[in-house]
Amino acid sequence: MDLLDTSREAFRLLFSGDPTLWGIVWVSIKVSVLALILAGPLAVAVGFVLAHVAFPGRRLLVILVQAFQSFPTVVVGLLLYLLLSRQGPLGALHLLFTQPAMIFGQMVIAFPVLAAYTLTAVQGADPRAHETAASLGAGRVRAAMTTLWEVRFGVMAAVFMGFGRIISEIGCSLMVGGNIAGLTRNIPTAIALETSKGEFAQGVALGIVLIVLALAVNVALAAVQGQGGMRQAWQP
Amino acid sequence: MAAVIEVTALAKTWGGRPLLRIPQLVLEAGSSYVLSGDNGAGKSTLLRILAGLEPAQVERFAFEGNLLQLDRLPAPVRRQIGFVHQHPYMFSSSALANVEYGLRVRGMPRNGRARLAQEALAWAGMAELADAPALRLSGGEQQRVALARVKVLSPRVYLLDEPTANLDADGRRRVIDLIAQLASADKVVVIACHDQEMINLPGVVRLHLENGSLS
Repeated sequence: MDLLDTSREAFRLLFSGDPTLWGIVWVSIKVSVLALILAGPLAVAVGFVLAHVAFPGRRLLVILVQAFQSFPTVVVGLLLYLLLSRQGPLGALHLLFTQPAMIFGQMVIAFPVLAAYTLTAVQGADPRAHETAASLGAGRVRAAMTTLWEVRFGVMAAVFMGFGRIISEIGCSLMVGGNIAGLTRNIPTAIALETSKGEFAQGVALGIVLIVLALAVNVALAAVQGQGGMRQAWQP
Repeated sequence: MAAVIEVTALAKTWGGRPLLRIPQLVLEAGSSYVLSGDNGAGKSTLLRILAGLEPAQVERFAFEGNLLQLDRLPAPVRRQIGFVHQHPYMFSSSALANVEYGLRVRGMPRNGRARLAQEALAWAGMAELADAPALRLSGGEQQRVALARVKVLSPRVYLLDEPTANLDADGRRRVIDLIAQLASADKVVVIACHDQEMINLPGVVRLHLENGSLS
């Protein structure tokens, strides 16, 4: 099969609504979005606390969160595999090669990205935002929520960065998902493994979907960051 | 006159250097105080300490006769102290939503708080700009929104940090008029400023901060 035929077949799969192909896309989006929803609130809270509250060991935690952003996903997969495999400490849960295992892995991968970008956003917040909220009667949690709302574009950027990191990761999904057709096969695992079996057209079609997703996330991110630049810098 | 705030032996150091050393400060209901002093004399810091925004060593602090820890003021007391920053921070929402904020965190239902906030904006001469994004307002307009945002909560104590700094003549005039209206029999108004016109207002108690102490 030459490149032209492959591309033609890829577009045919995309636009004919091929159920296998779109099923794989759905697994990817579902797993990554759920991972973001589940990891998001705690990660954002951790990012806020690290940026806002002084406590012993804070500096070390900030360094760890930033370092874990580039933790190899395949190692996250390996550790999770060891935990979830039949002889592992969590083997009784029978979660290996399931979507929940993939979701958990992606939560672990997204967490430091979400926390680190939230940390940066909150550090960039005007300190008067929290103070004003507090002096108008807001309690700790309310004042924190107000500050996060004031830097919402930065927090949204954190979410987009997290999504970008997990939608295209393959190491962990492959290790703990196992690329089971119709169940745990997502875009990256399908491209890597189906191409090696000669399913070129599907690989190209999925590659196109992944690129479009990545571009869409980056366009959204740029739009969001453009919005965030509107407040003029405050000079005391 | 009843003392609303009584502070004994307030001390504040800044980078190891003593900034404030005030043996006693009594703020009475029905009085307005103008706090003057050079830049860096500690006017803002003193207001921030009284607002509970800045830690300091205080031997004794009483609010309406109740002894309290300044750095751990109970919410009902904290809510009796209204503070307006020198450059008020506007939340990125409408002027009206800014004024509603304090009522919202107090759990007031939407209808009631919108009405009160509208009234406060009208008081500040800002009714027509209620729906304007607060960040687009001029410095003088933001200062008036900030005054309305505190007044709507009707605190016992108003602490105003340089309310007329950086305002043009018209903005200053309006802000001074509004501040004059805040004073009443049961309120305390403390204004930190350089503004000669405010320092010379009739009936205000003049406090001057120099070398860390009040005179």
